[in-house]
Amino acid sequence: MAAAALAAKLAGLPIAITLVESDEIGTVGVGEATLPHIRAFNLALGIDEAEMMRATEATYKLGIEFCDWGRRGDRYIHPFGDFGPTTNDVPFYQYWLKLRQSGDRSRIDEYSYPVIAAEQGRFRRPSGDLDAVESTFGYAYQFDAGLYAKFLRSFAEKRGVSRTEGRVVRVVQDGETGFVRDVVLTNGTTISADLFIDCSGFRGLLIETALQSGYDDWSAWLPCNRAIAVPTQSNGALRPFTRATARTAGWQWRIPLQHRVGNGHVYCSSFISDDEAHDQLVAGLDAPMQAEPRRLSFTTGRRREFWKKNVVAIGLAGGFLEPLESTSINLIQDGITELLAVFPDKGFGARDIAEYNRRIGLHYERIRDFLLLHYVATQRDDSEMWRHFRNLRLPDSLSERIDAWRTRGHLIQYEFGLFLSPSWVAVFLGQNLVPDRHDPRVESMSIDALTARASDVRAKVDAAVRRTPEHTAFIRESGGAARLAVAGA
Amino acid sequence: MVCGGGLAAWMTVATLARHLPDTVRVTLAEIDSDHRCADLFYGTVSGPGSYAFNLAAGVTEPALVLGSSAAFSWGSKYVHWAEGGRSWIQCFNLALPVIDGVLMHQYLVQQGMTRLDPFLLGAVAGSRGTFAHPPRSPGAAGQQPLARAEYGYHFDPASHARCFAAAVPPGRIHHLKGALTRVAVGDGAITGIALDGADMVTADLYLDCSGPSAELLSRLDPAWLGGRALQISADDVAEARLGPPVRSVSFHDKGWAAQTPLRGSTRSLTVSDATASCNARGGLSASATLGRRQRAWAGNCVGIGHAAGIVEPLTPAPMMLLERDIERLMTLIPVSTASMTVEEREYNRRHGEDHHHAMRFTRALLETSALPDSDFWRAARDTPDAELEHKLAMFAERGLLVSYDLEPFHPEDWLIMHFGIGRRPRRHDRLADRADAKRVRRYLDDAAQQVANAAAALPSNHVYMTQLERYLRQDPRK
Repeated sequence: MAAAALAAKLAGLPIAITLVESDEIGTVGVGEATLPHIRAFNLALGIDEAEMMRATEATYKLGIEFCDWGRRGDRYIHPFGDFGPTTNDVPFYQYWLKLRQSGDRSRIDEYSYPVIAAEQGRFRRPSGDLDAVESTFGYAYQFDAGLYAKFLRSFAEKRGVSRTEGRVVRVVQDGETGFVRDVVLTNGTTISADLFIDCSGFRGLLIETALQSGYDDWSAWLPCNRAIAVPTQSNGALRPFTRATARTAGWQWRIPLQHRVGNGHVYCSSFISDDEAHDQLVAGLDAPMQAEPRRLSFTTGRRREFWKKNVVAIGLAGGFLEPLESTSINLIQDGITELLAVFPDKGFGARDIAEYNRRIGLHYERIRDFLLLHYVATQRDDSEMWRHFRNLRLPDSLSERIDAWRTRGHLIQYEFGLFLSPSWVAVFLGQNLVPDRHDPRVESMSIDALTARASDVRAKVDAAVRRTPEHTAFIRESGGAARLAVAGA
Repeated sequence: MVCGGGLAAWMTVATLARHLPDTVRVTLAEIDSDHRCADLFYGTVSGPGSYAFNLAAGVTEPALVLGSSAAFSWGSKYVHWAEGGRSWIQCFNLALPVIDGVLMHQYLVQQGMTRLDPFLLGAVAGSRGTFAHPPRSPGAAGQQPLARAEYGYHFDPASHARCFAAAVPPGRIHHLKGALTRVAVGDGAITGIALDGADMVTADLYLDCSGPSAELLSRLDPAWLGGRALQISADDVAEARLGPPVRSVSFHDKGWAAQTPLRGSTRSLTVSDATASCNARGGLSASATLGRRQRAWAGNCVGIGHAAGIVEPLTPAPMMLLERDIERLMTLIPVSTASMTVEEREYNRRHGEDHHHAMRFTRALLETSALPDSDFWRAARDTPDAELEHKLAMFAERGLLVSYDLEPFHPEDWLIMHFGIGRRPRRHDRLADRADAKRVRRYLDDAAQQVANAAAALPSNHVYMTQLERYLRQDPRK
C-alpha cells in the first residue's frame, strides 16, 4: 500500500522509490476486512473498483456483525452508517431511548438502512440523493489481503517503483546521526535511501531492531496475543458483512470473500492453550478447511515513535491492535496519509516528525479505547477472560466516555479519530449498555408524534431495503465478480 | 433558573424556551445591573455560526434585521497590523479547494504568491464595501465564488439581546426582576436566591448570566484563572448610510480601537489597560479581567458567558464562546437533580478547551512586528503557549495547518490570518510540484478573476440592506 500510494502521489517528482520485498515472507493474513476509508485510498490512486474487486476476490461490506458479545446468544451489527435522522439537534437514538422506555420494542437496528440490508444479504452503493435513506451509509470491502498486495505491487511497478526481491540482513546507520543509510540484502545488494519506510511487520526491522524506538505495551488493556488463521470453502450466499464471534478467551472472525471464507481465532494465551484455541476455532467453522491453520503471536501496543530519524514505521511495524473492528489495514492507510501530509525534506525537521507521531498516536489511542469497549461493555462473566475485564482499571478517556453514556446517553465528541459517534452508539446499544436516562430535550416531542415518526423511519428503511439488489447479484452486475464459485450465487 | 440579564441571559432563556419541554419550568431572575456596560466585552462581531444558533433560539434573520441594529459582516479588517504595516481582512470562508490532493495555499507558496485575499470573496467584497447573501444551493449557484464566502453579524449587545427576548414565546418563562439581595449556598451548591429582600426562590439548576461578577458561580468557585485587566468603552455615532460589511480594527500604543458599522450608527470601541483613563465621550464603559473560572460548572450552577470566561473582543471569539456555552449546556441539561457530576465534568472539559482555543487564536493575532513595543502589547503577548508555537512553526516551516479537536476557529481562519499577517512558509508541499506550473498559474489567475468579477457585481452593503429591509417590511414572515 505504501509503495503504491507513494508512487501515485509522488509521480512526476524526482523521487525514486524502491520496494524491498521477499517472497519468502508471507503476509499475516489478518485484516482482510476494511473500513469505508479504503475507498478514498483507492480513489486517490485512481483504482477502478470493479477491477480491484475481481483481482482480490472482494465482496462488499456494510458493517461487522458481533455475536455473543453482550451476552451469549446476542448479536448486533455495527454498520457503516447512522441510526435514524437527527431532529432538533438531538440524535435519533435519544428518541429511541424514550420510545423504549414507553414500552416500544423496536430494535435500534430497524432504523439503520445498512443493518437491515446487511441482515438480508443485500447491497447497493450509496445514493447521491441526500434525502434518501439509501444515502445514509458508507461501505467497504472484504478482500484477500495477499491479492490486494499483489494488485498494488503491480500498480506500483507500472508507476516506476523498482522492486527488489530479497530479505534485509543488515541495516547500516550513519555513525554520527544514527540515520539509516543503507540496507543490505541476502544476496549482498546494498540499497541506500534518504527515507526508509519500515513495513517489515511486527518485528520492526528498522524502527525497532535498528533504531530502538521502544514499544508501549497495551496488553494490560487488550491482552489477546495470539491468532490462528484458516481459510474455509465458501458456504452459501455471500454476506455483505464480517462476523466477530466472542469466545471464552478471545474471539473468532469470519470474512466472506468470493473464493473462500477467511476465519481466525484471536485469543489470549493466559486464558487458553494453543490446542484448545485451535479446537474452538475448528468447532466454530461452518465449512471444511482449505489449508492448515497458521499461527501468529503479537503484543498489542504501539511504537513509542512511529517515525524516528529517517525511518517511518507503517502497518504492523508501527503497532498492533487486534482486528476486531477491521482497523489493521486502516492504520496502514492512516500512516501513509499522514506521511504524505508531512512529507519530509532531507532536513527531516523535528517538528514534522513530532506532528506525525502526535497524529498517529491519537489514532491508536482512540482505536484502543473503542476496541476495549467491546470487552468491558458486557454482561459476560462465564470465563476467566471475561472476569479479567470485569476487574480491569480502564484508561480515564474510556471510563469517562462510558460514564457519560451510561448516565444519559451522552457521547463525548472528538474530531480526530476513526470511530465517530454512530459507531459508539452501535456498540453500546448492541452490547446492552442502555443509558439510565435520555436527553431531556426529546420530551418536547409527544410520544404519539414520536411513535408515528419512528414508524415512518422504519417503513422507509424497509422499503429502501426491498428495492436493494441481492449482494452477490450486485457484485456480478457491477463487474466485480472474479469467478464466484458460490453455491446458489 | 437563569440569573442575570443582558445578552447572555436572553440568549440562554430564548434557547431554553425553544428546546426544553414545557414540563421544565424556566425562571429568569433579571437582576438590576447595567448589563450594557459589561456586555461590551462580547464585542461587536459574530462568526458564521450565529445564523444557525439564532435560528435554533427562534431568532430568524428577518427578525434580527427588523428588530435590531445588526448588519452583515464579512469579518474584520486589521489596519496596518500585518508585517510591513499592511492591512488585511480576516473574512469568513468555507474551506479552500483541494487540488489533486494538495491544499490550494500550497500552490500559492510554490508560485511565490504572497496574498490569499484575491481568492476570498469576503475579503474582496469587504474592501469594496459590497454584500449579498451567499447562495447555499447544491447546484450551479453553489459553485460560484460567492457560495464559498460566509458571513456573521455586526451587533450591539443590547439591541441583540432584545431580539432574543422577543423570541421567547409568551407565557413560557417565569420572569422576576429586582436587585439580588441574597444568594444562599450550602453543601457546594446554590440553595436559593432572593430579589429585593423578598422570599427565597429556588431551582434545580442555576444558570449564572450575571456577567463578570458571577454573582452565583463565584460563591461556589471563587478561583479566576486571570489574565490582564482591560477597560472597554463604546461610543455610537449616528449614520444615515450603512457602512461597509467589515469591522475595522486599528492599534495604538495603549490598546486598540474598532469601528463597527451598524444600522443607524457606527460603534467605536476602544480597549486599553484598566488603569488607563477612560476616553468614552458620554458612551458606555466597563472594565474586566480576562481569563476564566476554574470550573464553569460547579455543583448545580453553570456560568454562561462572562460569568465563566472573558476573552478580549479582538476577534469574534467572545460571541462564539457565548454561543458555544449555550449549545454545550443544551447537550448536557441534567437528567437528574441528585447528581450532575457527569455533566459538570464534561462541560468543564469542553469549556476549558474552547476557551484555550479561542485565546490561542486571539493570541496568534499578536505575532506581528507591526504592533508597538509598549506595555499594553508586551503584556498582551506575555502568555506562552506551546501548542500555538507548534501551529505557527509548522506553518512557517511548510505551510502545514495543525488542528486540534473541535477548535472554534477553523483551519481556513488560521490560513487567512497567516497570509494576512504576512507569514510565509519556508517551503511548500512537494506534492504541489507534480502539477504543471503554468497550468497552476492559469488556474489561480482565473480563480482570482472570478472572485473579482463576483465581488464587483454585488451591490453596496447599504443598498443591499436597504432593499432587504424594504422587502422584509412588506411581509416580515419572509
